[in-house]
Amino acid sequence: MTGLAEIYVQQFKTTLASFAQYRAAIFIWMIGHVLEPLVFMIVWSAVTLSRGGLVGGFGAGDFAAYFLVLMLVNHATYTWIMYEFEYRVRHGDLSFLLLRPLHPIHTDIVDNLSSKMLTLPLILVSAAVLAVVFKPVFHFRLWAAAVFLPALGLAFLVRFLIEWTLALAAFWTTRVGAINQGYYVAVLFLSGQVAPLALLPGPVRAAASVLPFRWMISFPAELLLGRLTPAQAAAGLAIQAGWLVLALLLMKVVWRAGVRRFTAVGG
Amino acid sequence: MTTTPPAIRVRDLRKTYVVAEREAGARAALKSLVRRRKIEIAAVDGISFDVDSGEIVGFLGPNGAGKTTTLKMLSGLLHPTAGELSVLGAVPWRREKAFLRQITLVMGQRNQLVWDIPAADSFELNRAIYRIPSADFQRLVKELTELLELGPLLRKPVRNLSLGERMKCEIAAALLHRPRMVFLDEPTIGLDVTMQRRIRGFIAEYNRRTGATVLLTSHDMSDVEALCRRVIIIHRGKLLFDGALSDLVSRFTEHKTIVVQLKDCRADLRPYGEVVSCEDGRVTLRVARAETARTTERLLADLPVSDLTVEDPPIEDVIERVFAQGTP
Amino acid sequence: MRALRLFWVFFRVGVLGELAYPANFFLQLFESLLDLGTALGGLAVVFAYTETLGGWRPDEVLALVGVFFLVGGVIRLIIQPSMESFIEAVGEGTLDFTLTKPADAQFLVSIQRVEIWRCTDIVLGAIVLGAALSRLGTRVGPGRAAVFAAALAAGLVIVYSFWLILATLSFWLVRVQNILVIFQSMYEAGRWPVGLYPRWMRFALRFLVPVAFATTVPAQALAGRLNASALCAEAALAVFLFGAARLFWKVGLRRYSGASA
Repeated sequence: MTGLAEIYVQQFKTTLASFAQYRAAIFIWMIGHVLEPLVFMIVWSAVTLSRGGLVGGFGAGDFAAYFLVLMLVNHATYTWIMYEFEYRVRHGDLSFLLLRPLHPIHTDIVDNLSSKMLTLPLILVSAAVLAVVFKPVFHFRLWAAAVFLPALGLAFLVRFLIEWTLALAAFWTTRVGAINQGYYVAVLFLSGQVAPLALLPGPVRAAASVLPFRWMISFPAELLLGRLTPAQAAAGLAIQAGWLVLALLLMKVVWRAGVRRFTAVGG
Repeated sequence: MTTTPPAIRVRDLRKTYVVAEREAGARAALKSLVRRRKIEIAAVDGISFDVDSGEIVGFLGPNGAGKTTTLKMLSGLLHPTAGELSVLGAVPWRREKAFLRQITLVMGQRNQLVWDIPAADSFELNRAIYRIPSADFQRLVKELTELLELGPLLRKPVRNLSLGERMKCEIAAALLHRPRMVFLDEPTIGLDVTMQRRIRGFIAEYNRRTGATVLLTSHDMSDVEALCRRVIIIHRGKLLFDGALSDLVSRFTEHKTIVVQLKDCRADLRPYGEVVSCEDGRVTLRVARAETARTTERLLADLPVSDLTVEDPPIEDVIERVFAQGTP
Repeated sequence: MRALRLFWVFFRVGVLGELAYPANFFLQLFESLLDLGTALGGLAVVFAYTETLGGWRPDEVLALVGVFFLVGGVIRLIIQPSMESFIEAVGEGTLDFTLTKPADAQFLVSIQRVEIWRCTDIVLGAIVLGAALSRLGTRVGPGRAAVFAAALAAGLVIVYSFWLILATLSFWLVRVQNILVIFQSMYEAGRWPVGLYPRWMRFALRFLVPVAFATTVPAQALAGRLNASALCAEAALAVFLFGAARLFWKVGLRRYSGASA
């Protein structure tokens, strides 16, 4: 296992070294990451204003807290791997992935986490500024805060595996970016980024719980905000673990199919 | 006579692609939405050969001949449609980790090196991926740096290097794990003559020092002439010739060229052979291979010759004739 | 008119190119439908809890969504791809190919690439607009429709000029593509009435990145909330910005031709 650990360390260093080049691009992506929850924060506080009271149990401060935490969770779990694979397939770099005696997901995961480590200060500052302006109301519970980190870790793994698997569409088409767009839009609604899932009608809420999107983004946020009972939290963690196993299996199957296709028709 | 099994064993290797075909114009475009015409192309059409450990073999052929396709099958990037294939005792397309650790593929004008960082940092990443022990790694980097004259290049971001410098670093990175099998796909393409020569020299030296087997594709004769004693000619997916370069010339040409330097062009040399050209007394004659010795004797005896050379026709002409003839 | 013929040629090439990949059409349609579904879903959820949003009625916000898709479709159909190609050409020095052609360079650069399947966004936007119109009822007369068309046209001119100005920066700066992404991100804010946002954001969405003129203003026109002076102001801004963009373009072009000589 030390072999793999060594690889992780070197990939981290590689990402660090490349980072200076992508500073501008990453900063600009972050604008989108901050703007989106901001827009919904504003929309929903307008709704509470016109309603003159609580909206589905949420006050203006609750909405602010929800979207703020969601912004942080989204930042922790998001990936850009589909764009990465689109670049790879266009430049013929997929061959190099297949020549290495290593599954390419390892270096991709480390690259993702390493980049986030570097942008963390920025997102925290943005969160702080938003907190000052929109005055979120938090109901932290100690046990929930403790369970938050494992939930966040599981959420990251599930999301990364699923999005990495989707990115493998690069073996079949060069339009991976387009798939990314479609996926992103679908996820928006069902992961609680448009409205807290509790506010959605029953059947939609049920669908959101069956699909993995809630477990990749909304669930850790709900946990930290103290909106779940211990029983719900435990069940949620179990579901996350289940999705992790499923996502892992799916990844292996699609990877094998992708390699088969690549070796059949060439790069 | 070797009793050890060959490093590469290829029997009746085949690779066919199915391609959709379409003509230009709007009507054809709309028609193709409904029904697509498919044709089968054989990129590699039944080739067989063995390569022993430590050989340097050149694959020659025009663009689209099937050289790169063959190389990709040997390195595991492509799954053959038919035929037997074994490299270092393994089946390449299974892409077993033990196999991948022993091979390397360098593709001309393509980079595995990370673009934005110095090559030295990419080396470190490769060191981890190929599990190269630290001491070996240091020594290897030093050796490669010397042989390829990398020195100051390693600290510069790869995107700031010239094409030739990038290629050198690319080759170094590819050899860090001391592969026993080295595949080079058009490694000198786009490089200037000096750099081409330097890289060829390096490959020869590397082969000498490590005994690695080297397979090289090129459509540039100079690569093959400089490095390979054995050459395999591939054209339209078929193997046209497999043997020594010198044999190629003698096998496919019946002529030799004699260049005689006289005082002027007044003499009629037609009795001696086919006069190709005459300029300032420098006459180029084409004679039948069997007649070369006798014709030379006669020329020297009959005429006031100040200089005489006997040459093989240029290899390019030979190769072209091989392609024109098809399968011999 | 020659310009129209040129435009048709580029359009046709774009279509032919894309017909080779019919899968892309279905991919785009799928994506557009998902996008629209999410937008409508968001609308549905919000209006499940309130009657009005910042003074806007549901059908008026629906019209806004229609405009958002329509304008977004036009941007992604021709403005964005052409400008991206232009920036790439400047970076790689291949702009010279366009400059040596016997037509106005700005025009050529602006229509050079057409992502034909993006017309699904335009069609869907028009459908949503139609639906919103029918729900708003007979209150939309020819006068208001004309005001709407004028506001929409002005909005498109403003957005085009803005993109051109940003893209022209590539004559001086490297990696301008990233700046274009800012527009994408901020355009998302155009899904909701600009009046909802705090003052500093409204300012940014009007005068920093003109999203408001592309989306909210035309929708306001349709809802009858746009008064004459506001329309005139928008039209004036459109004319001014177009002129400024053209001027800036010429300056940039002079620099480029001088530099590469």
